[in-house]
Order: sequence, then structure tokens, then C-alpha cells
Amino acid sequence: MARFRNKKRKAFVKPVVKKQHQASVDHITGDKIPKSFVFARGKLPGPLRQLQMDLRKLMLPHTALKLREKKRNNLKDFLNVAGPMGVTHFLILSKTPTAPYLRVARTPQGPTLAFKIQEYSLAVDVAKSQLRPRCPQDLFKNPPLIVLSGFGTGDQHLKLTTIMFQNIFPAIDINTVKLASCQRIVLLNYNKDTKLIDFRHYSIRLQPVGVSRRIRKFVQNHQVPDLRNLQDVSDFITKAGYGSESEADDEAATVTLATDLSRVNRASSKSAVKLQEIGPRMTLQLMKVEEGLCSGGVIFSEYGTLSRIC
Amino acid sequence: MAEENVILKAEKGPNKRNIGRKKKKPETRAREYNSDKEEDESGPENGTEQDKEELRGGYSSEEAERNQKGQDDENFDDGFSGDEDEGDSEIQPGITKFTEGCRAFRMAFKSIIKKSVQDDGLGPVLSAHKKLVAKKLAEEEGERKIKGEAKKEKHLVGEKGHVKPVTYLDIHEKFLIDVASKGVVKLFNAVNKAQGAQKGLDPSRSKDAKVLRKRQKEALFSELGKTPASTVNTPAMVRASNGQVDVEAPAWAPLRDNYMLKNSKLKDWDKMPDTGVTDDVRRISEDSSSDDDD
Repeated sequence: MARFRNKKRKAFVKPVVKKQHQASVDHITGDKIPKSFVFARGKLPGPLRQLQMDLRKLMLPHTALKLREKKRNNLKDFLNVAGPMGVTHFLILSKTPTAPYLRVARTPQGPTLAFKIQEYSLAVDVAKSQLRPRCPQDLFKNPPLIVLSGFGTGDQHLKLTTIMFQNIFPAIDINTVKLASCQRIVLLNYNKDTKLIDFRHYSIRLQPVGVSRRIRKFVQNHQVPDLRNLQDVSDFITKAGYGSESEADDEAATVTLATDLSRVNRASSKSAVKLQEIGPRMTLQLMKVEEGLCSGGVIFSEYGTLSRIC
Repeated sequence: MAEENVILKAEKGPNKRNIGRKKKKPETRAREYNSDKEEDESGPENGTEQDKEELRGGYSSEEAERNQKGQDDENFDDGFSGDEDEGDSEIQPGITKFTEGCRAFRMAFKSIIKKSVQDDGLGPVLSAHKKLVAKKLAEEEGERKIKGEAKKEKHLVGEKGHVKPVTYLDIHEKFLIDVASKGVVKLFNAVNKAQGAQKGLDPSRSKDAKVLRKRQKEALFSELGKTPASTVNTPAMVRASNGQVDVEAPAWAPLRDNYMLKNSKLKDWDKMPDTGVTDDVRRISEDSSSDDDD
């Protein structure tokens, strides 16, 4: 006689994984889209783990946000995965007793830039320091722009740094790019005197210029304004609002749009570019440049001991 | 009845003694409890006889036995002999008088109450082990301190380099935001110029597409021609188009100095120039097909 079967038992159904096919090539320009892994070598303390998460968010959308690493994973494992996934860059965080380090490497051959993180602030800290932290929903849906400033001193290692960081994000084709997709910007500013690189991450917001604050808020918020204290409706428009209106009219930071960007920012109207920091914030010092992926000859060293292995 | 019981049970042997004990009066029980003597020495029959004598108050016959008993027993008997002499009085030997006990208890309690306790963290209860406990506690405290310090140190090491940003915008941050916004403005302007050129033209039409490409090229070249001067002034280097680093470099890749050096796509060098042509062909063919459909 057959045994009674457990009614709960069900045939194993393989969960249907929707293959999110992320194109490795931009469908308009045909350029290869760089992808990245952000992971840690060795055990990280709490704040650094948070920094790793922040960096992953910064590298979105072409990165593995939920990359899970194990203690026994070595660099080779990541490299083996990177090949089929089309991952072109590694950002490796590590910790030494003196300071945390960030290595930025190009896969599979290198080079590797090792930065010492002199100071860092997490995205949470930055948001806490602000009165009104801003995070629109689709902020991380598009890759950030990158601005490199102060690197043009002619040094080879700085040139390499610029190339590395420019290629870490997808290239922008100015003929086809949609300005509405430019929501974030990553700034790397090299200070010649201190030899430190300031790493900042801002969100871009456009504001119409020449409109009083009240009207702007009224249009943006869709809320019925409070007119109790006014004699006439016209007062609402004519009465000068408080706030730093003079600051907004900075001529250098205004753009004239060619196309409609949003409901508020229309074509051929002037808009002010407003940047708000979203973090993380880092102060980096370039310590070493290696030829290979975390190996090979040292091309550049901060301490000046150039040992070229040919 | 009791004796009959004894006889009946006597046949069973081992239980016999228990029954005999059952018959014992509370006085004897108390005495036996206090005495060190083994019960085996006094047999059941013997015991019953003794009990009877005791009840009568005859101590003379017990003298021999008393010699065998320990010192404690003697004391006990001396203390309560008076009571026993009265026979079956209401107060039984082995139990202190209520009033006496009350007084003793009172005295004892008073003496405890009177005691002044040092105001110690340890309290009076463990006073016997005071030193030991104090030592233990101190040790624990020290251990905790060491542990806490170690933890703090570890935390500090983990927090190394972690800086909480200030709430106000300082000069350096302002400068950085300025630099970044300059870059954004530059890019936006470039995009506007490039995309403004293609306004009103339909890229699907081959005629327009040609014009478009020409205009784009012009716009780009004009933009590039203008930028070198501005790049000297402003430190910002925006990636204007196609991931080009140097704005001075020509737009067409093969004209650049670092062509095929930067990204080693040497293996498909022959395919690169063809793409433009194939694109055109495809576009034209698409157009023609659409024309056919019309």
C-alpha cells in the first residue's frame, strides 16, 4: 500500500527570476557602459560598512547594490564574476590601523589606484547636518555626472586618476542626453597644496529664475496659500517674500533650457542650478598606483620610492 | 488493644520495633532525639517498661541507663526535671516555655535592632564575607573598566577618519559647490546648444539627417573652439562629449593623439570606420522601405 503523502508537500517550482537584462552597451551611442562592484577586503567597522553602502548607492544604477561577500571570498572570486557580468571597475574598501583605504581598480588588468581616506562623512551625517535633506524618488535611477577639477597640473598619476574616474561612469553624449536624467553630480577637486582630493556628491535641482519665492512654492506645492493677512489677491504676488532671494540670482549658475525639463522649468526660460549635497563625502589622498589589479609594478607612490618592475 | 497489636505485629519481625516506638510518649521521643545513643540499645520491651516508670516519675531505676547517655542528655534532664516531676502537665519537656521564649526572642531581636550598621555598599548581610565580596566586586569593577576601555578603543579605531559635517556651509564647501555648479552649467549649456541645433528637424528623414549632422558638427566645433580659453580660467573640466577628457582634442577619435592607446580596441580597428557607413545605409534603407509603404 502506498503511504499517505503529506498534503503540504508540493513539487519544487523553480522561482521565475525575471532576467533584468541590463544592456552592456548604450543603445543610442553604442558606447560600452561601465559597471562596478563596491566591496570590502577584510572586516570593516560599522561606519565604514555604511560608507560602502553609500558608495554603492553613489555608483547606481550600474552596480551591484546588494553584492554579498563572504569572508572566504578572495579577489579572484570577484574577478571571475566580473567577467561574465561585464563589470569594469572595482571599488575596494579596506581598513588598516592608521586609516581606511579605498582602492579603485580597473578590471581585469588594472591599473589600481590606492587612496587613503583622510576623512569621510556618511550620507546619513550629511543629511543630518542639513535642515531639509532632499532625496527625490528617481535620484538614483540615472548615473551621475562627474566633474574633475584641478587635475590639470600635468602629472602623470593625476592624468591617470582623471581617466579612471571619467571612465567609471557612462559617457554622456551631448546630442542625445536628456537633461532631466542629470540628477546627480560627483565632484573631485584636487588641491595642489595639500595634495588631497575632495570627493563630493551633490543632487542637481533647477529652479526658475525671476519668480518670487511665494509664486514658485505655490506652483510647486499645489497648496492653497494662506491669504488671511492680505488685503487683496494682488498682494500675494507683489509683496516681497523673505528669504535669500538675492543669492538665487547668481548669474553664473543660471542656464537657459532648450527643452522642457519639468512642469516648472520650461524651455527657453532661465533656471538656476542648485546643488545640494547628498553624501558621502571623502577626502582622499592618492598613495599608490599599481600596474595590475592590486598587484604588479608600482607606477606611482606617494612616498617617492619608485620601483618600476619591467 | 495496644498490647494485642504488639503481639500481632511481633510475628512480622522487623516492624515490631516501629510499633513499639509509636507507643513512646513525646517525652521519650524528645530525649531520644537529643541523645546520641543508638536506638538499638534499648529494646522495645525495655523501652515500654522504662516509659511506664518515667510516667510514674521514678528516676532511680533509670540511673544505670543515664550513665550510658551522653553529657547533653544529663543537662537536658536537669533543666526540665521540675516540669517532669509534675507528671502530665500542660507544658511538655523539650519545648521552651512560651513566655520564656518570647523574652529570649525579644532580647535577641533587640540586640539585632540596636546594632548600628555601617553605611556600606555591601550591606550587613554578607558582613562575614565582607572582605571577600569587596575584593570580588573591586575585581569585577576593574575588569569592566578594562573591557570598557578596550571597547572604546576599538570603537575609536573604527571611527578613525569619520567626521560629522558642520551644519553651516563653510568656505571650502561653498567653493566646491561653486565648482560643481560651474561644471553643471557648462554641460547644460553645451547640451542646449547641441540639442537646440537639431530642433525642428526630423532625424528620420535623410535630408534632415544630413543637415543635422552638419549642424551638430558645427555646434560642437564652435563649442570646442571656445572652451580652451575658459578651461584655463575655470578649473572645472566637464566631459563635454563622448567621454572626451581633453576638450582641446579634436572631436573625431582618430585625430586624437591617444587614439587606440587609451582603450585598446585594436582587434576591431577595421570595423570602427564602417559603422558610420552602415548606419547610413540602414537609415536609407529604412527610409526607402517607409516610402514603399506609403
